[in-house]
Amino acid sequence: MLIYVVKRLVLMLPVVLCVALVCFLLVHIAPGDPLIAVLPPDDSADLAEQMKHVYGFDRPLPVQFGLWVWHALQGNLGTSIATGRPVAEEVSRAVGNTVMLAAVAAAIGFVLGLLFGFLAAYFRDTWIDRVVTTIAIAGVSMPHYWLGMVLVIIFSVVLGWLPAVGAGPGGSTSWEWDWAHMRYLVLPAVTLSVIPMGIVTRTVRALVGDLLSHEFVLALRAKGLAKTGVFRHVAKNAAPTATAVMGLQLGYLLGGSILVETVFSWPGTGLLLNSAIFQRDLPLLQGTILVLALFFVVLNLAVDVLQAMIDPRIRRS
Amino acid sequence: MTAAANDIIAVAPDRRARGYWSLVGRRLARDRVSTACALVIALIALSAVLAPWLGLADPYQGSMIRRLRPLGTAGYPLGTDELGRDMLTRLIYGGRLSLMLGLTPVALAFVIGTTLGVIAGYLGGLVNQAIMRTVDVFYAFPSVLLAIAISGALGAGIVNSLLSLTIVFIPPIVRVAESVTTSVRTLDFVDAARASGAGPLTIMRVHVLGNVLGPIFVYATSLISVCMILAAGLSFLGLGTKPPQPEWGLMLNTLRTAIYLNPWVAALPGVMIFIVSIGFNLLSDGLRSAMDVRS
Amino acid sequence: MTSLHLIRIALAAAISAWTLPAVAETVVRIGMTAADIPRTLGQPDQGFEGNRFTGNTMYEGLTVWDLSSADKPSEIIPGLATGWAVDAADKTRWTFRLRPGVKFHDGSDFDADAVVWNVEKVLKQDAPQFDASQVGVTASRMPTLRGARAIDSMTVELTTSEPDSFLPINLMNLYMASPAQWRKLYDAAAAVTDPKERSKQAWDAFSRAASGTGPWKMAGFVPRERLELVKNDAYWNPARRPKVDRLVLLPMPEANARTAALLSGQVDWIEAPAPDAIPQIRQRGFVIYANEQPHVWPWQFSRIDGSPWNDVKVRKAANLCVDRDAMRDGLLGGLMVAATATFEKGHPWRGHPTFEIKYDPDAARALMMQAGYSKTKRLKVKVQTSASGSGQMLPVPMNEFVQQSLAECFFDVELDVIEWNTLFTNWRKGVKDDAARGASAINVTYSSMDPFFALVRFLDSRMAPPVSNNWGFINDPEFDKRVAIARHAFDPAERDQALAALHERSVDEAAFLWVAHDVGPRAMSPKIRNFVQPKSWFVDFSTMTIAN
Repeated sequence: MLIYVVKRLVLMLPVVLCVALVCFLLVHIAPGDPLIAVLPPDDSADLAEQMKHVYGFDRPLPVQFGLWVWHALQGNLGTSIATGRPVAEEVSRAVGNTVMLAAVAAAIGFVLGLLFGFLAAYFRDTWIDRVVTTIAIAGVSMPHYWLGMVLVIIFSVVLGWLPAVGAGPGGSTSWEWDWAHMRYLVLPAVTLSVIPMGIVTRTVRALVGDLLSHEFVLALRAKGLAKTGVFRHVAKNAAPTATAVMGLQLGYLLGGSILVETVFSWPGTGLLLNSAIFQRDLPLLQGTILVLALFFVVLNLAVDVLQAMIDPRIRRS
Repeated sequence: MTAAANDIIAVAPDRRARGYWSLVGRRLARDRVSTACALVIALIALSAVLAPWLGLADPYQGSMIRRLRPLGTAGYPLGTDELGRDMLTRLIYGGRLSLMLGLTPVALAFVIGTTLGVIAGYLGGLVNQAIMRTVDVFYAFPSVLLAIAISGALGAGIVNSLLSLTIVFIPPIVRVAESVTTSVRTLDFVDAARASGAGPLTIMRVHVLGNVLGPIFVYATSLISVCMILAAGLSFLGLGTKPPQPEWGLMLNTLRTAIYLNPWVAALPGVMIFIVSIGFNLLSDGLRSAMDVRS
Repeated sequence: MTSLHLIRIALAAAISAWTLPAVAETVVRIGMTAADIPRTLGQPDQGFEGNRFTGNTMYEGLTVWDLSSADKPSEIIPGLATGWAVDAADKTRWTFRLRPGVKFHDGSDFDADAVVWNVEKVLKQDAPQFDASQVGVTASRMPTLRGARAIDSMTVELTTSEPDSFLPINLMNLYMASPAQWRKLYDAAAAVTDPKERSKQAWDAFSRAASGTGPWKMAGFVPRERLELVKNDAYWNPARRPKVDRLVLLPMPEANARTAALLSGQVDWIEAPAPDAIPQIRQRGFVIYANEQPHVWPWQFSRIDGSPWNDVKVRKAANLCVDRDAMRDGLLGGLMVAATATFEKGHPWRGHPTFEIKYDPDAARALMMQAGYSKTKRLKVKVQTSASGSGQMLPVPMNEFVQQSLAECFFDVELDVIEWNTLFTNWRKGVKDDAARGASAINVTYSSMDPFFALVRFLDSRMAPPVSNNWGFINDPEFDKRVAIARHAFDPAERDQALAALHERSVDEAAFLWVAHDVGPRAMSPKIRNFVQPKSWFVDFSTMTIAN
């Protein structure tokens, strides 16, 4: 087991380097001026050249990449061109906010997903199953950011129960876990949880339904084994794949929150990316994508290890 | 997913004859929900393909006086959009691009991903490491993020969207393919084939592929709706299709501020995406059920 | 406790009950269209919205815009300088007399040294306070400024590279930040050895503890989320001391989210509400303010050899073939002013153009036929525009409207819609560059607040790319002559006349396709009173009050 983990960790290093490379390339192939954020378009070409030099964009790409990686290893992700603030600081603040949102959305999505999935599997082909499956499929079939906008109109504009945008009455830095602040989380988290809820429901339903119809289980039931015994067996066997799927969904929530964050102006990595892309703020873009990607790599590794721990047969060799 | 796939494969080799697939087909036909979905999707797809010959209004011709007319207006059964163009026409024509943006990347990713995954899963060892680690690099980027980053880098446009979406869906399919192939690889009939002197390529093609295509295909169909929604998301951010082309995601985007004036018309493109996504998802479920020989 | 003690307590309680309760602070919460708080260190980014919210609030320049009237055009008036004059002998030297008794928010004095320090922050590369990131928004706005020198504590001499009568107007873009405050933060960063890093850190710290001379002071700052400004009771102009205690600025880039925030009461004021949401906003009792802005939505024509737009008849025909009123009423819900030129009637720089731009399709078609086009021989043109962007209004629907309109006059218009940043870059590159992709026109909106921005950079042949934004390579000796006259007319009245002459000719030559002026709509709670929206990109937040 330990050898497996160590092996995976070692193999992760070239992956991380490649991730950094892809990240860097992605950002640099973009057409358009990297200095658009500080150089209004109506500038003279002389000024533009001058600025390029000051910011180091006139150096050859491999040199820029090397310098960036070198600094990144020391925790310095550069400075945002648009704001002049250190990227590491911006990203860490944003990551905190996104993790908070993703965690709450994951909690809602997974709890509901597991609940619905088990219900649907146990009561297969009854009306309960149909209702639950419809909800789940509806969840994954709709553009969730659009759902978010509709929810805002219903709950903020028409009913006035919940706020429309933002991360707290005083901004995210003054966050507390009280209702005055948490009410800002409700709509974004619910919107974000819809897809994971749908996917987990369907996966669990398929897995559990499958397991329940195993001859082994039927035999157990015929022998009169208590429901809890069957449940435990089912849960144990469904766990690896369910964990894998939930892990993936967590990753999706972390990285895919950009659309929801844009709609709700939630100050997380998604909104940061949105700004960075449209302002072509290269250091910020590189830094944010790198941090998110690294998160994901570690998450994938954790999920694989977890899976392998639960079911040694699934080890990837 | 893996456990279910394992079980399918464990049973399948005995029925590898054509009988298995016709059995699946018959079971699918008997499933009312799946049939209904297939019909709805076929209808939408057909209307999209035949659009120019259906006698519809011009999807590009609008008039400012007619903008945002409600449902049921004379001559415009589904109302008009923010530039006064007929919604019914734009929705049908929009189906062409939207369906294409939903199906093509998944289809391409299916072909490329299955190939890579089967090779990786069957050959194992260094080849497996090389392929899977490369996939890991792209897997490190959450799909939405990757699509947006690539589209952001390449610029808006259909081709760029297709490219970024295909790239986004290859890693998950490779993963599933590799996982399923790894399970099949250890089964008896494969050993038997190897013992009989068949080369790896033959084994992969004749024995393995037939058995793994099923689960991978089912997985791929479940990705279609995700792809459509992701394509719509790219348009939402201004990175996908460019106006004035009719495409559901783009229409959803341009109509979103009209939600205060005419919410029903503004919702229509979303409804279309919803219907088609549900259709593909239910169909995918039905296919999985039909292939699950035991229930 | 003795009874005496108890009585004392009771008395104290009774007295405090009689004292007037603390007056609740008046707060106005504003939703901006920017995706981030504009930079707070003195030179804002995010275009003019930046200047509006983090420039003119906390800071001022030597000259400022008059924002007091909704009817008169907004002109330059003395700000931190009370008067200025150019040296009669050497027109590259200006003397500015500074306003006495002005203090920065941190208490230090505003004087000539402060002016020199601020000029050097963008012009002198070896000065400790030099900040490259601030150069773009300043140096480009005053390209001729070369240096500054303190003559005495209240007098400054500014030098330019060539005689430039536009200098006082351009100086409103150079905001005065407090050198004392900056130096304090610079000294605090003594641990950093690399001077560039140290300077960066000092500016970063300054952006969180801003100090200027403006009517508002920074009170709270959460990057990317909120900026809180409180009124500056010690502001040097008593008439412009704010009546509201606190401003809270929130970035809300998504139009629907902004509208929802207003309608749900989360903010009191939003910039640029979605036009389609305006009926709903009005219905709910909110007030829409809009006024003509110094903003132009045009097509800029290619004038290189072989361009169809070289024929003045074609240019005029295009201008006569667009029904601007229908665009305003049908497409933009009334939120637009039909453009008949860069400057409309009443503006000192308009002049008396003879070519009247209005909707006259018959005249347009006649001109096109004279130029050799007809129903069977149509003119193909391609225009580059973007899907969105600051100031672009509704670029795609508007361009499609123009496309459909011009189709009536034998034009076959092809739209090339690209990304906003790319469009800007292409604009700077010019029509001869490959990036133009065969376009013969480009649709980039611009500010017409000062002469360089409004006229010179488009009409002067020396301003062709890569120097500035004469995208189409207009090369007309008469234009160049009139620009030179304006540049050298140092008497304000003469200068205005010269600029009017330049503008007049541009209209008579139909240098652009003029379509619209933006009106800068904003939606506000009816509780806000005494607000004036001038004919400017900027507003004065000091006059408004909010009922509680």
